[in-house]
Amino acid sequence: MNPAALDATLVRAAQGGSEEAFARLVDRHQQALRAFLRRACGNRALADDLAQEALLTAWSRIDRLDEAANVRAWLCGIGYNKCRTELRSGRRVRQREADYQSSDHRSTGVAPEDRLALEQAMAVLPLEQRAVVALCLAAEFSHADAAEALGLPLGTVKSHVTRGRARLMEALGVRDER
Amino acid sequence: MSDDDARLAAFFAASEPPARDLAFSAGVMEAVARARFRREMARLALFSLVGGVVLWAVWPSLAPVLVQVGGGLAPAGAALVVAAAVLLLADGRAMSALGLRS
Repeated sequence: MNPAALDATLVRAAQGGSEEAFARLVDRHQQALRAFLRRACGNRALADDLAQEALLTAWSRIDRLDEAANVRAWLCGIGYNKCRTELRSGRRVRQREADYQSSDHRSTGVAPEDRLALEQAMAVLPLEQRAVVALCLAAEFSHADAAEALGLPLGTVKSHVTRGRARLMEALGVRDER
Repeated sequence: MSDDDARLAAFFAASEPPARDLAFSAGVMEAVARARFRREMARLALFSLVGGVVLWAVWPSLAPVLVQVGGGLAPAGAALVVAAAVLLLADGRAMSALGLRS
């Protein structure tokens, strides 16, 4: 069974009240949702809190989801709205700052100077642009899926991708010719 | 993939959570169970409230009828309560014995 068909089956079962089916949806999409939120809000602990809240909201709204819908995009859309609200209020961001400072940066084959430069470049991107970069450049979403998830016009998504990529390449000391 | 794209991909890969995270998934399902419990409690509280209000509204006309038939129904009511208690205490064994429960 292909992933979209499996998602549709699980969504149908979850809409019928199956918690097991919803748990399988959580297993299938938690990585993508958490990765997206980590990149969009730049704070791992806060991102995981928001991912949990987004999944809880998804559970309460699963009846409204169309079977054929892209579940991952839908979840990222819910997560994005929570992230936007949270960053505006700034309440937990400050609270979680200490956790983030102490979080480990495991060795993952990224040069420390690249990591620092890219983290700083990501941090100064506007939230909307950062979210588009996180979906299209990091998670390989299509422009259309990202537009659907974030509720943005397709043209805006394309321009955010181009500008965001250029900013990140600039941080790496590369002139982006795309 | 160019060298610069590879550097960018490595940076993004560094923030990738594990593909399977049992603690995280269990945390989400625990929160779902709590939310479902709260929702169920709210539903029951609403039903109780509506039932109470309906009873309060019809009580003036219901009370005389109950008093009138209460004497005759009391033994049957008591027998029903005892039967229900026995069924509950037997934890479904009586229903199983009657073939009403597998």
